Amino acid sequence: MFDHIQAFHRPRNIQEAVRLIHDGEGAGRFLAGGTDLAVQADRSVRFLVDISKLGLNYIRPSGSGWVIGATATMAELEKSPAIRALANGILAQAAALCGSVQNRNVATLGGNLMNASPAADTATPLLALDAVVTFADAQGQRTAALAGFFSGPHGTAAGGMLLLEVEVPQPPAGARVGWSFQKLGRTQSDISLVNAAVGLGLEPDHRVKWVRIALGAVAPTPMRAPNAEALLVGRKLEPAIIDEAAAEVAREVRPISDVRASADYRRQMSAVLVKRALRECARQTGYAL
Amino acid sequence: MSSERSIVGKNFKKVDGVKLVTGRPAFTDDIHLQGMLIGKILPSTRAHARIKNIDTSKAKALPGVHAVLTYRDVPRVPHTTAGQAWPEPSPKDTYLLDSKVRFVGDRVAAVAAESRAIAEEALRLIEVEYEDLPPVLEIEQAMAPGAPVIHDEPDSTGIHDASRNIAGHIFKEIGSVDRGFREADYIFEREFRTQRQQHCPIEPHVTISWLDPDNRLVIRTSTQVPYHARRQVAQILQIPLQRVHVVKPRIGGGFGGKQEMLLEDICGALALATRRPVKIEYTREEEFYMARSRHPQILRMKMGVKRDGEIVASQLVVLATTGAYGSHATTVQGNTGSKVLPLYRAPNMRFECHVVYTNAPVAGAFRGYGCPQGFFAQESLVDEIAHELKMDPIEFRRKNMIRLGDVDELSAELGEGRRGLPRRIRSCGLPECLEQGAAAIDWERKRKAPPASNGHLRRGVGVACSMQGSGIAGIDWACAMIKLNEDGSFHLLVGASDVGAGADTVLAQIAAETLGVSLDKITVTSGDTDITPFDVGAYASSTTIISGGAVKKTAEKVRDHIVKLASKMLNVPPDNLICRDNHVVAKCGCDKSVTIADLAMHATYREKLQIIDSASHFITDSPPPFCAQFADVEVDTETGEIRVLHLVTAVDCGVPINPRQAEGQAEGAVAQSLGYGFTEEMVLDGQGRMINPSFLDYKILSSKDMPKLTTILVETEEPLGPYGAKSIGEVAINTATPAVLNAVFHATGIRFTKLPVRPEDVLRALSAKGGA
Amino acid sequence: MNTIEIGVKINGESKRWRIAPGDLLLDVLRREGYYGVKRGCESGECGACTVLLDGKAINSCVMFAAQADGCELLTIEGLAQGDTLDPIQDAFLECGAVQCGYCTPGMILNAKAFLAQQPDPSEDEVRDMLAGNLCRCTGYLKPVEAVLAAAEACRQKAKDR
Repeated sequence: MFDHIQAFHRPRNIQEAVRLIHDGEGAGRFLAGGTDLAVQADRSVRFLVDISKLGLNYIRPSGSGWVIGATATMAELEKSPAIRALANGILAQAAALCGSVQNRNVATLGGNLMNASPAADTATPLLALDAVVTFADAQGQRTAALAGFFSGPHGTAAGGMLLLEVEVPQPPAGARVGWSFQKLGRTQSDISLVNAAVGLGLEPDHRVKWVRIALGAVAPTPMRAPNAEALLVGRKLEPAIIDEAAAEVAREVRPISDVRASADYRRQMSAVLVKRALRECARQTGYAL
Repeated sequence: MSSERSIVGKNFKKVDGVKLVTGRPAFTDDIHLQGMLIGKILPSTRAHARIKNIDTSKAKALPGVHAVLTYRDVPRVPHTTAGQAWPEPSPKDTYLLDSKVRFVGDRVAAVAAESRAIAEEALRLIEVEYEDLPPVLEIEQAMAPGAPVIHDEPDSTGIHDASRNIAGHIFKEIGSVDRGFREADYIFEREFRTQRQQHCPIEPHVTISWLDPDNRLVIRTSTQVPYHARRQVAQILQIPLQRVHVVKPRIGGGFGGKQEMLLEDICGALALATRRPVKIEYTREEEFYMARSRHPQILRMKMGVKRDGEIVASQLVVLATTGAYGSHATTVQGNTGSKVLPLYRAPNMRFECHVVYTNAPVAGAFRGYGCPQGFFAQESLVDEIAHELKMDPIEFRRKNMIRLGDVDELSAELGEGRRGLPRRIRSCGLPECLEQGAAAIDWERKRKAPPASNGHLRRGVGVACSMQGSGIAGIDWACAMIKLNEDGSFHLLVGASDVGAGADTVLAQIAAETLGVSLDKITVTSGDTDITPFDVGAYASSTTIISGGAVKKTAEKVRDHIVKLASKMLNVPPDNLICRDNHVVAKCGCDKSVTIADLAMHATYREKLQIIDSASHFITDSPPPFCAQFADVEVDTETGEIRVLHLVTAVDCGVPINPRQAEGQAEGAVAQSLGYGFTEEMVLDGQGRMINPSFLDYKILSSKDMPKLTTILVETEEPLGPYGAKSIGEVAINTATPAVLNAVFHATGIRFTKLPVRPEDVLRALSAKGGA
Repeated sequence: MNTIEIGVKINGESKRWRIAPGDLLLDVLRREGYYGVKRGCESGECGACTVLLDGKAINSCVMFAAQADGCELLTIEGLAQGDTLDPIQDAFLECGAVQCGYCTPGMILNAKAFLAQQPDPSEDEVRDMLAGNLCRCTGYLKPVEAVLAAAEACRQKAKDR
């Protein structure tokens, strides 16, 4: 099936890895877990560059946030105490829903992001967390906000560069903070037909101090819903306001119809999932709506 | 009587279980043959086209390619691929390779090469020039005037009316439904639609073929029907049947998809052409659209009832499509009438069906064999009638359902391609199934007052019933052979195909019980056309009752030989001897006995006698197993998701030979039924191409999707079955879908008539109804 | 055709294999005679090809063989000790959790890795783990029961020691 692959490289360091890909002029691919690569029937691939043993699987503090190496696996994220604690575990929950346990044991965060499926489960919470990605090529390293990193379905700004790590700045602190990740699939083990990650911070009088709403599988790339966010800030969180925000989300998304769901249904479910997420966040702050 | 049995009715571990849990090489592909080539089929990319030109020169010239076959290289023999007894009732409309393609995935050419990569490259090098023809993709378009004719070839036979794309037409009536509807107080009529479902066996189709040292064509294949495959391969390749040897190893699931001669012919042709072993193994993608699937149907069901709920007339009109070829076309649809309508007594019944060709993937046998479609329609309509008449759905069924002693005349009208035989109900546990199932789901309480709705969640319970058959009356038959080894063990040789359901174990249990020996004394060899005697194969839920019947008869004969020799050895009259616990013992009085082991040694070396016998068996009826299914569901009115909380499956399979295995059959069938109802669909695009041929996009249920399952086996004694057994392979695949949908109706007041029912379909219906 | 050599420890045995760079682990394992590793979908969806790599359950059909260089592999062939079955294998037989058996090696290995980390799982946790092994025969109930029974048996054995 992969008879067109002529070489398998195990570079000793990142510089060697990026140089191999650069010299290959499009014929090479970075290989971490392999679960996406091994399924794609791309016959233009001539060699693989294994980056899974370059020590990029760390999860460590960075300033007051966290930085996650590109080859940290979904299973590692799912089980990491730090990631489970971060933003009430929305990234850990997303990782836990990223396919079967066999997939999660090898699939990496970098692979999930670089594959850039609009439905990538880890992208949504990372967008809500204002994550920043660092990638490298022969010329050096670059950093970019995850927002804007995705250029379209299966397209990123990184081009042929190597994704090195994802930085999650410390989420806004406060006593009344909630985070929620929601996912809908046709079955329990499915690619998301819609997913949503929401973060919410409330004032003592239940006015919205800040809110972040991110969605996946409802646009060519994972997205934030800035209009809905703006609508909420400063308002007292009540069912009617939540409904308003959800309706705004339904206007902001740009879903397509495919074998998983129709555009209409995705639009409706965007609203439903965001509503549920906001309610869940409120519940976490101790506010009974 | 049951309490005297020591083996039948007990949960013995599978006789092939250790082999399977240790991963021993037991499946078709688990061998290595020196010099084996990889075969691959070039599928058509067009739904309907003539092959104007096909150039295989570049493919043939590729190093490592040993054969490239097109229609020019092989005999043209019209046949059906359906694994059915000769003369097969399905149209003979298929060709090994043809100059016309009739669906996306149809065979264009076949190659054999030294590696998979070379074979795939060879396929890419075959140049095909198609003359596109307008395709027929919609079922309703097939018979429209001026519709393109899919089977315009002159040499196909058995097609009802090829000029109108009608593969088959069935019409049967008992009494007069017109009169019945006039007599009815109320008439109910609904149209239902069902989709294409794929079997998704975890082991795709795979066949390996080679010429043995005697130049006989050996075919090692994942099949439910080794004998039919042998006959059909011989016919298609035009070699003597004597020269064909089919071997069935362990099979990784069939569900009817392997009741088909699918790859054996083309694999054999490549083996003959190259004189090397050839393996053809479908990828998962190929398995989806180049194998078989369930017939989609449009069903119009009509029932006339009296005020008190008594059914006076029932009518089912079906328009089905068999895809591009007519495999099982008339028999599956015949079942939709013959097994479904008679569940409820009515003096007037009518069944009419047109089965049409479309340029779509081919349908065939699939567990339930026409019944899932029919029971979806009937159990939904019956639920609606009960609701309108303000009757409890169970009470409505009790009032009308078939009973012990009844004779089902409709079956007489609808046999397998010929006039069938009337069916007499000699065992019926359906009342107990309903009673015990209802209790297990807490029907009374939940039906009257569903657990309180929680905001957007609605609860409901529903019921559905079904029956099936056990073998095809007067047609399915089997033979078994048993020989005694000198150590007191036995060899049981059966043509029966264990496709994973546990046939080898059940048959061994029947043999052991009858012979009076322990189960571990039986070694089973099955499904080898050189060694084992004939058996039609694993379909129609026939194995336990028919193959098991043959095993019982054979074991009785062998037991008689044993007793005769023991009588001589012990000087005790034969009718005073009994076989028990690996011994032959005198029944009364004297303390005489001999172990089977000693007797066997004596027979082999002193008497110079091989104790061996065989018996053939068939029955002229098809005793139905019965199933009552109960579902407790929760509908999320915000997302449209249907969460099945609890499924209770109460089955009367007669006497279960191995109850735990029987439960496993019911549980697996229920999972396939849930997929059929709610998540599975082969989706075709406007060009007839399947757009979701992968597990990523075609969703079968996983362990996380399953509800709580309760399986209840209600035991009855079927006089026609060995030790009272009937069957359980299929009956439980008919009911989960309608039971859940009836529960959804209870929860929401919405009736769904089109499968699959996806959350967005529920949501749309809820909005149309006026909100959650 | 370029080939590379990889070294693995498989079922306790050290092996060196010559492979093509693009060879998938599933293909190499079956080529080397480990027929218990099954081909079901070649896309990482069905789990029939599950093996343990350094103790973790992975789908060998979506892993390049070269990635396994230097690793420890466990296939179903390496689970039983001679004629003594692993408790999970025993439980699958006792509970009637095996029908056609094609998905069985994958399920058993997945369960093996899982129980090593979670010796006292809930039914939900077992179902979450088994969701990576598609089965068309059983409806999953008896396999779930088998894993829970195996967990109980192992806990009992540990207590008895």
